[in-house]
Amino acid sequence: MQISMNGTSIGAKPGQTIFQAARDNGIFIPTLCYHDKVGAAGKCRVCVVEIEGMNGLQTSCSVEVREGMRIQTRTEKVINAQKLVVDLLLSTGTHDCIACDQNGKCELQNAAYYLGLERGSLNYGVPEKDMDESSEFVFVDRNKCISCGRCVAACNGTVVNEVLDFKYRGNKVDIAFDDDLPMGKSSCVQCGECSQICPVGAITDRNSRGKARHWEVEKVYSVCPYCGVGCKLELHVDRKANKIIRVNGVEGAPTNDGMLCVKGRYGYDFVGHEERLRNPLIKNPDGTFRDASWDEAIDLVSRKFFEIKSKHGADSIMGMCSAKATNEENYTFQKLFRQVIGTNNIDHCARL
Amino acid sequence: MTNDIAGLDKSDVALIIGSDTSEAHPVIAARLKKAARKGKLKIIVIDPKEIRMADYAEIYTCQRPGTDVAVLNGMMHLIIKNGWEDKKFIEERCEGYEALKEEVDKFTPEYVERISGIPAATLEKIAELFGKAETAALYYAMGITQHTTGIDNVKSTANLQMLCGNMGKVGGGVNPLRGQSNVQGACDMGGLPNVFTAYQKVGDAPVQEKFERFWGVSLSDKPGIPMTVAFDKAYDGEMKAFYIMGENPMISDPDLHHAEAALKKLEFLVVEDIFLTETAKLADVVLPASTYAEKSGTFTNTERRVQLLFEAVKAPGEAKHDWQIHQMLANKMGQNWNFGNAREIFEEIRKCTPSYAGMTYERLGFNGLQWPCPTEEHPGTPVLHIGKFTRGLGLMTAIPFKAPAEMPDADYPLYLTTGRILQQFHTGTMSRKSPGLNNLAGPHAMISVQDAEAIGVKNSEKVKVTTRRGSIVTTAFITKRCPKGTVYVPFHFAEAPANALTINALDPVAKIPEYKVCACKIEKV
Amino acid sequence: MISSQISTRIRELAKRYPQKESVLLPALMLAQKENKNVLSKQDIGNVADIIGVTHSKAYGVATFYTMYNVKDMTGTYHIQVDTNIPATLMGAKKILAHLERKLGIKAGQTTPDGLFTLSEVECLASCGTCPVIQVNDVYYENLTIEKTDALIDSLRKGVMPDRKTEYFWGTTCNVLLKNRGLENSTSIGVYRKNGGYKALEKARTMSPEQIALAVKDSGIKGRGGAGFPAGLKWSFLPKNHGKPVYLICNADEGEPGTYKDRQIMEYDPHLLIEGIAISASALGCKLAFIYIRGEFDWIADILDKAIDEAKAGGQLKDMDIIVHRGAGAYVCGEETALIESIEGKRGQPRIKPPFPAVQGLYGCPTIVNNVETLASVPFIIEKGADEFRKIDFKIFGISGNVNKPGCYEYPIGTSFKDLIAAAGGVKGKLKAAIVGGLSVAILKADELEDLVMDYESCARKGTALGSGGIIVINDEWSIPELALRSMEFYAHESCGKCTPCKEGSRITVKILEKILKGQGTSADLANVERLVGTIKGLTLCPVGEAFSTPIRAMVEKFRPEFEKLLTN
Repeated sequence: MQISMNGTSIGAKPGQTIFQAARDNGIFIPTLCYHDKVGAAGKCRVCVVEIEGMNGLQTSCSVEVREGMRIQTRTEKVINAQKLVVDLLLSTGTHDCIACDQNGKCELQNAAYYLGLERGSLNYGVPEKDMDESSEFVFVDRNKCISCGRCVAACNGTVVNEVLDFKYRGNKVDIAFDDDLPMGKSSCVQCGECSQICPVGAITDRNSRGKARHWEVEKVYSVCPYCGVGCKLELHVDRKANKIIRVNGVEGAPTNDGMLCVKGRYGYDFVGHEERLRNPLIKNPDGTFRDASWDEAIDLVSRKFFEIKSKHGADSIMGMCSAKATNEENYTFQKLFRQVIGTNNIDHCARL
Repeated sequence: MTNDIAGLDKSDVALIIGSDTSEAHPVIAARLKKAARKGKLKIIVIDPKEIRMADYAEIYTCQRPGTDVAVLNGMMHLIIKNGWEDKKFIEERCEGYEALKEEVDKFTPEYVERISGIPAATLEKIAELFGKAETAALYYAMGITQHTTGIDNVKSTANLQMLCGNMGKVGGGVNPLRGQSNVQGACDMGGLPNVFTAYQKVGDAPVQEKFERFWGVSLSDKPGIPMTVAFDKAYDGEMKAFYIMGENPMISDPDLHHAEAALKKLEFLVVEDIFLTETAKLADVVLPASTYAEKSGTFTNTERRVQLLFEAVKAPGEAKHDWQIHQMLANKMGQNWNFGNAREIFEEIRKCTPSYAGMTYERLGFNGLQWPCPTEEHPGTPVLHIGKFTRGLGLMTAIPFKAPAEMPDADYPLYLTTGRILQQFHTGTMSRKSPGLNNLAGPHAMISVQDAEAIGVKNSEKVKVTTRRGSIVTTAFITKRCPKGTVYVPFHFAEAPANALTINALDPVAKIPEYKVCACKIEKV
Repeated sequence: MISSQISTRIRELAKRYPQKESVLLPALMLAQKENKNVLSKQDIGNVADIIGVTHSKAYGVATFYTMYNVKDMTGTYHIQVDTNIPATLMGAKKILAHLERKLGIKAGQTTPDGLFTLSEVECLASCGTCPVIQVNDVYYENLTIEKTDALIDSLRKGVMPDRKTEYFWGTTCNVLLKNRGLENSTSIGVYRKNGGYKALEKARTMSPEQIALAVKDSGIKGRGGAGFPAGLKWSFLPKNHGKPVYLICNADEGEPGTYKDRQIMEYDPHLLIEGIAISASALGCKLAFIYIRGEFDWIADILDKAIDEAKAGGQLKDMDIIVHRGAGAYVCGEETALIESIEGKRGQPRIKPPFPAVQGLYGCPTIVNNVETLASVPFIIEKGADEFRKIDFKIFGISGNVNKPGCYEYPIGTSFKDLIAAAGGVKGKLKAAIVGGLSVAILKADELEDLVMDYESCARKGTALGSGGIIVINDEWSIPELALRSMEFYAHESCGKCTPCKEGSRITVKILEKILKGQGTSADLANVERLVGTIKGLTLCPVGEAFSTPIRAMVEKFRPEFEKLLTN
């Protein structure tokens, strides 16, 4: 269908919200609480627009498009409202971007940038709130929380771990873990869904803090190396340092739709671990290992295989391929055994 | 899985048996929990432990370890007795019904209660909820397979789903949840002793001929031996060399003392891995390989979805991709492989693997494709067996109940069962390199409140778990989720390896070890 | 500690509700009452486990509603002084100051002997009988310094005095307050003797469509405050949806200046029950709720008893009514927040659409009507829509600086002057009045001269008839002070769901505090105007409008009073 946005006719799909239609057409409407996965909450009130024929401001995250709808996203009334909301947030939290890990990806920062607000103007005191560093992998800074509710919705409605909720009311509203426990003492399983969905720097990945800013990382798709669900990963990589900085789940992926578990999201230390094998090793007669070149190692292995094969037959050699290697590598492994060594003795730990 | 992950919220009922889903497959668990909380799904959990999924279940019941056949036969008994079976489906699409019916006839709820400990009334409720459901799915993991009756258990799940007409439809299916990132792919690629890629049988003349032509050599038509048997043969001196890629049997094999002795008897052991694992330490040659983040290629997940990986970081030092190592070896041994990258290998795989034939890296794209995908026009197959089983008629099999190999007795009065926990993975090669994960979960034994009281051990105190194979000292984790008489030990930890305790008793066909049941005793240290 | 009796009670109670989570609010209150009026974290967790909800949800609910004392200790006697606008106008701050001196503690503290906890609370819907103190569950009204002393002395002796309320009231219509003065007016016998349940009998001979049509024809506007025609609201119920329909009576009377619904429920509960029974039959509803503010505990008991009587008397044939007690939250007067609260959640409003008529309680079609609206239905059915339109009776609650504050049942369209005269006239010199509950624009004395109390006339004056709660202000009061106290109320009651209300209400309080301390500048006053000017229409629910409208009017109409306080 066709709708009009800021006087320009654009295409929209039935059932879409105004926000979604605008986004699809490259029209920026700031929003803080809306996320595709948790849907419209109508909480932040920053995505408001004016619609011809409707009184007052409407939240674009919750109103569906209708054929011929005429929408304005940048009227004075809209901008004033958006500015007030963002001003209120900047004025009532500690939104210092300098060392914030969310810098460059922060939706509050984006909204403030769009509206040209450098800092809050309603300076009547900022309530000081807790930082919660009790969790192994997740860092919570309530001073940056805008109580958008995404983390609560995600914890209860997406991953259904049912740990997070809001406590208190009014401007004292805050997120709570179980019966208001420190995150690390709560029943949280640290899947990190809250961190991934947080629009600001209130919930971040602890191990990523200070490692690289968002614009310094390259994002590479991969698949989780742990269980067999096949969660799609977005690895945030610092190519220069040759390091994984952060792991996100890929939103919209058919397997995990952005979700991950504690291992998939945070268990990547092994990749850059100092104990990684860097070169082939050959065992000395005394049982210790010595470094070897590839030529030497391959030479030795092929020689020994020939030797054993000629003495005891190919079926005296067993190959174990790997449920953690790729299809391509498992293929070449079994081909090596079948085509080159000449045995069907190939198995792996599917049963273990 | 016969069905796909995205479709699991289409079921009315899901039976989870032998899967600690939220620990071992957390993201599938999340989807099931969501479907239960927000959608129409009703979950039934049957498990010796009161696993987290029980909190989301309509019905949870505790079974004794190793009684799955009896429980499933009992459900079928009640379903048939009450006429809840799908008569049309059985008639048109299955064979072997009469024999099955005759077998399950004796599995009355009372009889099943005596075997499994599940109250007759509970079994009746379960059978009713499951039997009357329009569409019901069944999920299992190693809790079904790691038994001396593993194959029997698997066949029983298939019996139940055929009986209720839950096969070949969205929201139904028999859904084994696979435990490793590419365990499905390793099987698909012919990483098994009796099949080539896509389960083309070794020894089947047309298949042999096809691969001989394809690879340009003559091939052995004698099926190989499974790994569990290979260890015995190594122990006996019959097997001379092992080449192990990215596995750590020194943690994962049953009865580790036996495994270690077997590996030490080998004439030559090559291990290709990313770390100097417990197994690699025993090797004559260790070859440094790459992690998932260092390579391109594909993984095939539990729902048969082939997905792309891309290289994100460089492997350290001179470490290579596994395929590069295989190519060097193959060429050294006289072949002339010329793979330039993973994509070229995939192109070769397509040519000899009918279920992957329609896939290309371009087509895999963002979403991947689910096999079978025979042609480049084929959209992939989210749900198997729609309209027709692969073998034609679905085979129902009468399965008698058999007890586990080792049952508790006066000397070893408790059940020992083993498995996974959320924060660690398999043999720990990857997860135990994370200080954070190690802080979250170390070695422990889950013990019931009653059994802990009986030996006077308190939470976090040391406890010794002993079986006829050996003993370990670990930390007691006392929980109401563990039933009296059962001890649960996760197997990830080299310093307290559960598999020093487990029994090397195998399923006669699948050769899978009975990790889920043996007899043990516990003592306070 | 939660005893097995209480946990059994909770489980039993849960069975009454279509969804067990609904029992969370009453269950937490039971747990609190069993534990010296304190709700510990552990007990909250225990309640959560008994019901089967998450700990964080139960904790979130327990800390949302003010009546749960989620702390280590509460005094044996929890002295709660209402200091909202009507109460302040009628001397509550003096009582509070006196109590602080007498008990030697500040509001929010507990005496060292653990006997008294003193709290300053928001409107207790006793605006005609202010100053009012709630001690634990019991209201003590019409307090003076002397009566307060006597109360404290008695409590020190361990005796809770009997509560006694003396109202001024009057009626020229004789409908809603008809039975008000009768002995035993809450009993079904007295109610029937005076012609009660005749309308229900008549309704049973009518089709649902006929009943709905009568209500629609009567044109009765919702008496809760928004003034939306009730019959029209009913007509939004979808047809053939196959789901149960719920009728909820909104008895969460909390708008400052409003204490009319209480008159009906406390003195004539069967009138309401009859209204609910008739309306339910028109709507096809089998289960109705009365959501009553938690502070009205004894009134809820009256309703429970009356419902039992009605059931025994065959008046509620194929339906049931659950009296669901709130736990202290103004915002639950908003219908979607109220629905959330019945569902056992934090009382936070939902996005509309969908409207409750389509998707309300438990996701089912739901009609929410005010007590007074539903209590008017028997008249409409018995006497007919035309007769209703002729009288259009309404209870006006008059509070503040008048001689005889109380509830007066007069036709809509009565002049402001006549109503004030009925209430004994203004005490002192009339300065201003807020005529529709606190959340409407204030009117100056000259604007009140010719004011007629009907929806249209009020709208023409830039205000609203609202709930009909008239707060009269004489010239002893400073408007900036009242503005601050009003804003404190709204900031306290903001549910915290949407940003403009959550943060905007607190900031506005902060600025007004600064101005009243004599530290404000014209920039600060401009900030107030910017806030209330922008927030109107920007919030998720009407609470944003509820505070921006009156504050804006106060600043606009009494600007010199504000400017006098500024430093520049």
